[in-house]
Amino acid sequence: MTAVPLAPVRRWISRRQSAHRERGATAGNIYFTVLFLAVVGGMVHKQLAVVFWPTHPNASALAAASLVPILFGLLYLALRRFGPLALSRPAASWLLPAPVSRRRLLLPSLRLTAIVAAIVGALAGLAVLGHGAPRTLGGEQIALFGTGAALIGVALLLVALAAQAGGRWGDRLDAVVSLLLAAGLVGLVTDATGDHAPAADGWPPARTLVPLVGALALVVALLFTLAVRGLARTPNQRILEAAKTAGTLFDSAFGMEPTFLTDMIERRYWAHRKLRSMHLSARLPVLVGQDLLLVLRRRSRLLWLVLAAALPVLLADAPHWLIGLAILVGAMLAGSTAAGNVKTDAGNPVLLRILGLSSRTAVRQRMWVPGILAGVWSALALGLLSALGDLPSGPWWVLGLVLGPVGAVASVRRARVGFVRNELLPLDTPMGTVSTGPLVNAAIGPDALLLGLPALIEIAQGHPLSWLTVLVQAVVGGLGARAYLAGTTAADRVELHALR
Amino acid sequence: MDHPAVEVRGLHVSYGSTPVLVDVSLRVEAGKGVCVTGENGIGKSTLLRCVSSLQQPDDGEILVFGGTPGATPEFWRTVVTTVEPPTWYPGLTVREHAELVCRAHGQDPEEAGIDEALERFGLAGHADAIPPSLSSGQKQRLTLAVGLIRPSSLLILDEPEQRLDPDGRAEVAALLVDYVRDGGSLLMASHDDAFAAASGAEVTTMESLSS
Repeated sequence: MTAVPLAPVRRWISRRQSAHRERGATAGNIYFTVLFLAVVGGMVHKQLAVVFWPTHPNASALAAASLVPILFGLLYLALRRFGPLALSRPAASWLLPAPVSRRRLLLPSLRLTAIVAAIVGALAGLAVLGHGAPRTLGGEQIALFGTGAALIGVALLLVALAAQAGGRWGDRLDAVVSLLLAAGLVGLVTDATGDHAPAADGWPPARTLVPLVGALALVVALLFTLAVRGLARTPNQRILEAAKTAGTLFDSAFGMEPTFLTDMIERRYWAHRKLRSMHLSARLPVLVGQDLLLVLRRRSRLLWLVLAAALPVLLADAPHWLIGLAILVGAMLAGSTAAGNVKTDAGNPVLLRILGLSSRTAVRQRMWVPGILAGVWSALALGLLSALGDLPSGPWWVLGLVLGPVGAVASVRRARVGFVRNELLPLDTPMGTVSTGPLVNAAIGPDALLLGLPALIEIAQGHPLSWLTVLVQAVVGGLGARAYLAGTTAADRVELHALR
Repeated sequence: MDHPAVEVRGLHVSYGSTPVLVDVSLRVEAGKGVCVTGENGIGKSTLLRCVSSLQQPDDGEILVFGGTPGATPEFWRTVVTTVEPPTWYPGLTVREHAELVCRAHGQDPEEAGIDEALERFGLAGHADAIPPSLSSGQKQRLTLAVGLIRPSSLLILDEPEQRLDPDGRAEVAALLVDYVRDGGSLLMASHDDAFAAASGAEVTTMESLSS
């Protein structure tokens, strides 16, 4: 079968699409994008400089080396999550089954992804350089490092592309990259616990870099050519899956509704798992047993939670209120790992009706596992901070435990929030219109962390921790959880109806 | 308690300016089954939604076992409906969904006969699957299975034969006969006359309910 030339088809589509747009709409969009970038860039350029190029290098050799697997690992995992090769949904529906050249159909997508990967790689390289390299580095060296990092970004894309095309090795490689990422985090935390001097020297000169970067460019170019030749062999179902991801990503951005994306990722995760039915514990309340089963089925998440308990150590040099805030937010996120079933119930009460439980019983039972996770996580995090001497004396891990109810309320409230309400009145600001729906939506859940105010103040003040504060926090958290239950659920109603 | 299972009097529902139900009356005696038939859009589902308290009628009176239907746990322990499709819990298998429902109603899963129920609904081979991976017909069977395995006094089913193969229809009809024989009441809507007859329910048309 001879392939139909693709270029005229694409031209025709774009002509028809532009016929439906207002005159000058594209120019207007470009104008607003450039203006938006200029305004945001003007506002946050100082913060960007701190992130990418602080005045003095402030990372030790260990920290700089740890940043490499973290940044590039994240890039690789993100590429794997989103495809990396994707088509728009209409193209996947109409052009994928058409008799057009598969390579030409996919090439623009590959080109765009390669540019994005190169830019992200270069930025990551620049950030490592900015934090770890002395300011004596010449412009030539910086350019070579940046180019090298961009090439590594493209190389990672090509590896992700090969993994997308098939084989179980892709999943195994994902696990290895996750391990490297975790090792990088461990490195950062280790660095924060000691007093390491910023790395000053040991950076290769330009004459060593030129052949290295040249060789890398050659290899990447070769691999890229091979990838383009093999494009036509990417299996259909992988492209369709990636097209769905791209479409959902667009829906999420357009509707400012991140749950579209997170729900899709969750659905895909379970679709790939092979499960064996277990018995729910007869001793525990029924919904507690169900939540526990769900948490135990995702043990790797628990592992990540344990590792993440070390992350507040990175803030040891930051103002103490920031540590307090990180602990509270962390407690909410820890609780959220077990709040998936509340989200299902809040979205559709049909199963709750079949279960015949009141909303009060249901939410009370559903708060147990998030509460325990939040408490244990905070206890680990605060215990570690205190053991490393970053906090004054006192029973900090107990304070962490009594933060359990606070994390439970915040995560369950967050899970019950539902869709973003885009009908809320937009706010007119000098920089344009801000829609309030997503802002209100983002605040529901974290607002309940106010219940952790006693702990936050205690951490911020930096005084030794007294048992009285622990008691006050326990009482505030416990009463807060009771008030939340009493205010947002009823013993004579099944539906959860997130009360706002 | 001599109340009928369902008693509807003078029900009016309209969507915008389109009247769907006009002065509808219906009575389902306790321990009996009634099947409402009629073409698409005639208001069968709307009637079932109103009886299940999932929709507020514009006018009229609805009593379920002598009480007003509501969102209370007591109502939902008495009534099972498949008018709305469920969203299955993530990461929970077919069998675990059935066990969850049993435990929530204080039943011992072994005594409640989960495995037999899954077998009867042709789901025994899919006990370890997650519901979203099932076909639409199997999901319909699972919805009916978890609805029937728990105790209840009134079933409100909207076209339960939908998406089922002929064997499945016969099996479900037989289960409905058992349900009514054991003292349960049944109100359902259906397009399939043979299925309605096999379920033992008294068949009535939507037109005949409007006075």
